[in-house]
Amino acid sequence: MLDLIAKTLAYSSGIAIGAASITLIYSTTRTFNFAHATMVTWGFYIVFAMQSFLKGSPYYYILFAGLFSAFLGVILYLGVNRPLIKAGVGEITLMMSTLGVDLIYFGFLGAYIDYLLTQYQIYATQFYLELYDFIIPVGGAGYRGIGLVAPLVMITVIILLHLFLTRTRIGIAMRASIENPSLAGLLGINTDVIYLLAWVIGGFLAGLSGGLLSLTMAGYDKVGMDYIVTFFTGSIVGGLYSIFGSLLGGLLIGMGEYIGTYLLSLYVGTWITTYRPAIPLAIMVATLLLKPEGLAAINWSRIYSSIKSLLR
Amino acid sequence: MLEIPQELLVLILQITLNFGIGVIVTLSLNLEVGYLGIPQFGRVLTVLIGAVIVGGVIGRIVALYLGYPAGLEYVGYENFKIVSAINSVLAANPFLSISILILTLVLAGLVGGVVGYLTAYPALRLKEAYLGITLLAFGDIAQIICWNYEPIAGGTVGVNIIDPFRFTGEYRIYIAIGFILFMALLIYIYIERLTNSPFGRALRASRDSETASRVYGKDIVRLRAQTLIIGGAISAIGGALWALYSLSFKAITYTRLLWTFYPWAYMMLGGTGNNLGIVLGVFLFSTLRTLIIMYKDYIPITQYIQPARLEYILVGLTIVLVVLLRPQGILPEKPVRTLPKKRIERLIKRS
Repeated sequence: MLDLIAKTLAYSSGIAIGAASITLIYSTTRTFNFAHATMVTWGFYIVFAMQSFLKGSPYYYILFAGLFSAFLGVILYLGVNRPLIKAGVGEITLMMSTLGVDLIYFGFLGAYIDYLLTQYQIYATQFYLELYDFIIPVGGAGYRGIGLVAPLVMITVIILLHLFLTRTRIGIAMRASIENPSLAGLLGINTDVIYLLAWVIGGFLAGLSGGLLSLTMAGYDKVGMDYIVTFFTGSIVGGLYSIFGSLLGGLLIGMGEYIGTYLLSLYVGTWITTYRPAIPLAIMVATLLLKPEGLAAINWSRIYSSIKSLLR
Repeated sequence: MLEIPQELLVLILQITLNFGIGVIVTLSLNLEVGYLGIPQFGRVLTVLIGAVIVGGVIGRIVALYLGYPAGLEYVGYENFKIVSAINSVLAANPFLSISILILTLVLAGLVGGVVGYLTAYPALRLKEAYLGITLLAFGDIAQIICWNYEPIAGGTVGVNIIDPFRFTGEYRIYIAIGFILFMALLIYIYIERLTNSPFGRALRASRDSETASRVYGKDIVRLRAQTLIIGGAISAIGGALWALYSLSFKAITYTRLLWTFYPWAYMMLGGTGNNLGIVLGVFLFSTLRTLIIMYKDYIPITQYIQPARLEYILVGLTIVLVVLLRPQGILPEKPVRTLPKKRIERLIKRS
């Protein structure tokens, strides 16, 4: 049971961080970032490649995974996203443009995989970084460290994002331009800088999520593409405009996927486990059709006050 | 008779095949995206349905008709034996083969239309990105189910597909590709006529201004549902033809990349909302893609990397460049062609 909890926590923290990246970029630039898929996969591969060359624990390199994906985000913004936003195109065009960039990044990733094989004889088509994880001994059994590290990283991300968005000038400016872009522009906030920053942070979170997830599952070239809808789901369940909502949404989706499959397999039978990827998809379709505002629609202050009045 | 080198012949056949299937699927996509104006990110759904109809339904109907096991045995390890037995019957019976071919296309069209109609439920309630992601999720869910649930069409093992072109013997490949091209032409003519009819004009009107077209008495809900039915039916026929040609079915090969995003790239290059542009876009892409695959040995870099990587970069670069430099595509959308005034007056007089 503890094993399942550790795995669930590790996986859902990774998904939550990725979902926050989708939400941050969407709420500032109105761009559904399809390139997120390969930016996450690059996170996997940066950790893998650095671990193969430099050895040691994969944890040392997760930060570099984030930095590289932030770099990919900057290229995407300056090369494609910025001119399109200036031209005032619609959401669908913005979405398609990131898909094009995703394919380019994916092509280069594939080339890099081939390059590792032909030049260094490193087999990178599929890899398992779990094997290099450290073991935490608990009561006679050993658990992989990622079950502890990933949630800690997520909590750090939450704290840092909160401090950034509430205590720094530029963070407050970013919140202002999320809530009302035209008014923020009127007040002299440089939206160009805000957008660039959103792509830097969003890219970093995508790479970070990839780096963390690389310790929980097999890495392969299409891993990001296979999980992109899970990230989207986390973001949509979170309400699409709330960064903390997306973190919560990502956590819920990840947990729903693992624990839901586990519970279903107990009652329905183990055949259900092969349908695991369909769970986030189903949750997303249900959310969009029944409650498109997601978790943001829940009136927390009302719940809080009703609890308070109950206690009184 | 003119001697054509074998290599060139294979190349031309491959390009023609990719072109024919691409035109069918992309035209149906263009009808929904270019004319109706919804972000159809789930094109793969109906294409997959069409292929499943061939692999899982038509095969069973024929097996039942000819007295072979058609239940769970059909998709199991007996599948190869049953299908090859059916094929040897079909090889000697052109009439039956042609009937099966027609039945396949009709059934694929019908079921594709029904599935298209089902997607109208979110299409009437959601907008823009939300709708796109929902349709994408539908396609993925269908793929996951077909990939894991064996009774449909073999699950991860897949199924072999009966071959209604078998009776043509050594000319099979020419006849099959010729037929696909013929179907693409028929569908092109149909869509071109449809989009230039009052229906097509109503579609464009509702795309450009929903309120205005509603004021003029257009039933938007009906228009959307009808277009999704037609688009679903046509793309399912495309999927069915592809399955019939390739003679085997595996759900994992029906990816959103290949059957949703690539058609989007073709459409954007050719010109969204222009049917002739779609044909041009598909032609350019299928030629280039096929050339890359066929002549990979002559591209110097492919000794280090697989040619497929170049294909991804090429498609991605095309999307980005089209979006940035020429959003209307090579052939932009043209104003609606209506009848000349004189002819309308003559028509009124006659009636």
